[in-house]
Amino acid sequence: MRVALAEDGVLFREGLLMLLRAAGHEIVGAVGGGDELVALLATEHADVAILDIRMPPEPDGGLTTAERLRVSYPDMGLLFLSHYAESHYLIRILEIGTVGVGYRLKEKVGSVDVLTDTLDRIQAGEVVIEPMLAKRLVERPKGSRKSVVDTLSERETDVLRLMAEGRSNGGIAGLLFVSPKAVEKHIANIFGKLGLHTDASENNRRVLAVLTYLRSQGAEG
Amino acid sequence: MTTRPPDSDRDPSGERLRHTEARRWRHRRKLERRLHDGASLRLSAMSLRLGLLTEQGPGELPERVGELQDELHAVLQELRAVANGIYPPLLDEAGLAPALRELADRLGLRLAVVSTDERFGAVLEGASYTALAEYLDPEYRDADDPEPEEEPLVGVDIRREDDALVLAVVGGGHRCAVLIRDQVGPLGGLVTEEPTGQIIVRVPCE
Repeated sequence: MRVALAEDGVLFREGLLMLLRAAGHEIVGAVGGGDELVALLATEHADVAILDIRMPPEPDGGLTTAERLRVSYPDMGLLFLSHYAESHYLIRILEIGTVGVGYRLKEKVGSVDVLTDTLDRIQAGEVVIEPMLAKRLVERPKGSRKSVVDTLSERETDVLRLMAEGRSNGGIAGLLFVSPKAVEKHIANIFGKLGLHTDASENNRRVLAVLTYLRSQGAEG
Repeated sequence: MTTRPPDSDRDPSGERLRHTEARRWRHRRKLERRLHDGASLRLSAMSLRLGLLTEQGPGELPERVGELQDELHAVLQELRAVANGIYPPLLDEAGLAPALRELADRLGLRLAVVSTDERFGAVLEGASYTALAEYLDPEYRDADDPEPEEEPLVGVDIRREDDALVLAVVGGGHRCAVLIRDQVGPLGGLVTEEPTGQIIVRVPCE
């Protein structure tokens, strides 16, 4: 896979480069900021761009740069790395794109297996979310807040949590030991309960389901 | 409109100020303890385990490395918690409203924030955030603080009026008003409690 990297921390950038090379990926360039990445991609093609969220142009150059890149190269995957897994950033990332995007903690891509799995899923168009964040969004630490999401059954909540991690139907079926048909039925129920009877594509409805979930759990809930 | 004068006006002996200062220093000590008992201890233990790696067979290496990476994740999580207690990164990067929403999200609180996307600078945002975190987050609670309300339901409206940061807080009660006054009073902020229970805060911008 052809990968471009923008990260302003030299130590982490060099470490990630070594790991990417060990995983057999081709590095088309590694730069220290968003503007440099835009310049690089004007001459080099990449399958996935890896962006640090907090880099120049400050304060969150990774996000503003990604907005520009998504317009110019809609098919290029975007992997955001951050020191923090926050729903605030997740929502902004999903606003940039709902296909082929990922958001992971920097220390969680520290093996060839995880890094390759993350990049492969992004290139395949999936939404890859740090499992810890997806889990936190689904399992509330406390409180009995009444929301539409509370009307979901336990199994539907499991399915939504895995959807929030960007898993495909087949992946969810495998993890829950049920048939893909059963997963489809659960998802149809979730869409129904969340009121997502739109003409949007399956993928958009998935992301809308996750977003509805986030908002229902968030401040305005 | 104003029903009560600020507490600071009724604090000739400076008792409230001493209380605030004491609280601040206890918080700093708590953060230092967390660094010592958490991240530092884990890193020291990791150094030993790395030393042990040279004594173990190469076949065990992948599993041991995986364990050490999990341990590093735990260290980073602890450092993130301490960073949040010093100055939340999201407050710096995104402002008061997103930082408060994240706090509510993390603690599972019922907190509604209404805001324009305006920024008010590190001092005003830091003071406002800290006051509300002191009220809402058990992490900030002092030993002599009263037990928090079960499932508080709080609304915060953040806006700019003339050249001041204006906060309207609903559902906070008197204790919340006192904590806000402790934080914004030294910055020239005025805190009033309406008969409706609403707290209005006005702090001149830097």
